[in-house]
Amino acid sequence: MQHAVELEELGTRITEASRFIQKAEVQLSRRVIGQHDVIRRIFIAMLVNGHILLEGVPGLAKTLIIRTFAAAMNLKFQRIQFTPDMLPADLIGTMIYNPKDLEFYPRKGPVFANVILADEINRSPAKVQSALLEAMQERQVTIGTQTFPLEEPFLVLATQNPIEHEGTYVLPEAQVDRFMMKVLVDYPSYDEELEIMLQSATNAASAPIIPVVQADDIAKARALIDLIYVDPRVQRYIVDLVVASRKPAQYGIASLETMIEFGASPRASIFLLLASKAHAFLQHRAYITPEDVKAIAYDTLRHRIRPGYEAEADNVKPDDIIRQILQHVQVP
Amino acid sequence: MVTVSLFSAEASGALSGVTVSFKPDSILVGDRIHCAIGVRHSANDLVSLEGLDSLSASPFELVNRKQSSAVVSPGKRQERFDFELAVFGSGRQPLPRFTVVLRNSQGKVISREPYRPSSAVFVRSLTDSTMRELRPIKPPLKPMIPLLLILPVLLGVFGIAGIVLLLLFLLKRTVRTSAEKVDPGQVAQRKLRKLGSRLSAGMPPPECYEELSNIMRTFLEKHYRIRALEAVTQEIERDLKKLGVAGFESIMNLLAQADLVKFADSRPDAEESRQSLRKAEEVIRSARIPHSPDE
Repeated sequence: MQHAVELEELGTRITEASRFIQKAEVQLSRRVIGQHDVIRRIFIAMLVNGHILLEGVPGLAKTLIIRTFAAAMNLKFQRIQFTPDMLPADLIGTMIYNPKDLEFYPRKGPVFANVILADEINRSPAKVQSALLEAMQERQVTIGTQTFPLEEPFLVLATQNPIEHEGTYVLPEAQVDRFMMKVLVDYPSYDEELEIMLQSATNAASAPIIPVVQADDIAKARALIDLIYVDPRVQRYIVDLVVASRKPAQYGIASLETMIEFGASPRASIFLLLASKAHAFLQHRAYITPEDVKAIAYDTLRHRIRPGYEAEADNVKPDDIIRQILQHVQVP
Repeated sequence: MVTVSLFSAEASGALSGVTVSFKPDSILVGDRIHCAIGVRHSANDLVSLEGLDSLSASPFELVNRKQSSAVVSPGKRQERFDFELAVFGSGRQPLPRFTVVLRNSQGKVISREPYRPSSAVFVRSLTDSTMRELRPIKPPLKPMIPLLLILPVLLGVFGIAGIVLLLLFLLKRTVRTSAEKVDPGQVAQRKLRKLGSRLSAGMPPPECYEELSNIMRTFLEKHYRIRALEAVTQEIERDLKKLGVAGFESIMNLLAQADLVKFADSRPDAEESRQSLRKAEEVIRSARIPHSPDE
């Protein structure tokens, strides 16, 4: 009973500590209409130090969401438009020679911010992509001989246009795997579209965004997320889902055996657990339930499962495979 | 097969007859014909054929030859020459000329008779009539099994297969009907009673809740035909809401309580567990009562 009481107490602390998220959501809703799932995923990634790959056609308010999010969270925002002629130095910075004192000084690049929007990341060649992904992984950047740690929180949201592929450099699987989630940004609903149109088709200035987050709010939230209880049953459920993507026949989904070229990596299990914890935090819970796992399973697994030739021929998408896995793996 | 008797008179006193037979009489260019020449003669003499070994200029080309001999009557022998000839050109091709040479036992030629068979082979040309390549030998035709013999066997096989399928279908239907007859509510209640006795016998309450959750989910899946075993509580809630299930609140309370035990390390005491079992029995009992359509 002792543990249950502790969890109840932790739940109360979580409710308190997550208030800043509700406040930030209110600020976001002043500018962004709809896209609640995308906003929730951004909060999840920020709470557990993850990064997000956003995929959606142009004009779905991706930049607006991230810019508003950064403003509401009182974080430094940088938008970097990736182009084919970009160099790693344009991203991380370079050494500048000062003729006055005959010395080289480091000039920090746009990657030194809290929230980075890497717009159309697949437009740049591999060396630039690698520079960013390395910064994402190591959370530090080396300019010349000096190493600079990146500011905390450090959240990268990279976008990819799913329609145009001409003149792009497709992100390799190993690089894509570093993103905690791949979030699909969908069109708004009819009513949302109507509201967007009425709100945006005006010359009046947009509603101002008030920063609502204190400096240590995020750090406190992160510390509490680490305390969230994960029952061994849920731990096994997470591993079952990931293993089912590799050996579907073991879970009674033999039909998927030929559909999957390769399944999710161990990073998927790690991120699935982290993201589930953050999801539970957003629900003001001190423990994870399979609902949390299922809620973020699509976003965490879709870029880690490569459909095989047969799946491509039958137009079976990773989401269809995940749906089948979720339907067949028994919930604890 | 075409057989031509070329000579039957006692021409040289030693030869009593020459027959030529060949098959087939109509072929495609490049195909082969089999030509058999039989020469009947006195047993003391030796027979050979000339003219068929050098056919390169004619439309015929010697592919293979064989010779055999047999005694047909006292003092008479029959020599048989088998030729395999490839035929080229097109249209009607008269059989090639040949000469029968008769020698005595010392090897001296005693007779030389030329023959020109009147029969011909009809050659159907392909695109190129100048072709001089051999066509592959056709595979030997398999003897045809009369349909009348196969038909009863086939009918028998299909009949047996039909009976087996019918039996399987009936068996499956019987199993399904009997499975449908088992009331999931009845099964769930029996399981709950067993669980109650195990709890009294000292079963730890958390294990009891886990079992209770499984019993409830199995019941919901079978009774309301929703996916409950692979669904999370939220999904079950959504499905039951859609169906407008009686006792919805109680079901959800039970599942939520079980979730707390399973995932939030909640430790209920035995009395709480007993209450939950009673509540579950009530929910199942009320779900089994058929509702009138106007309700």
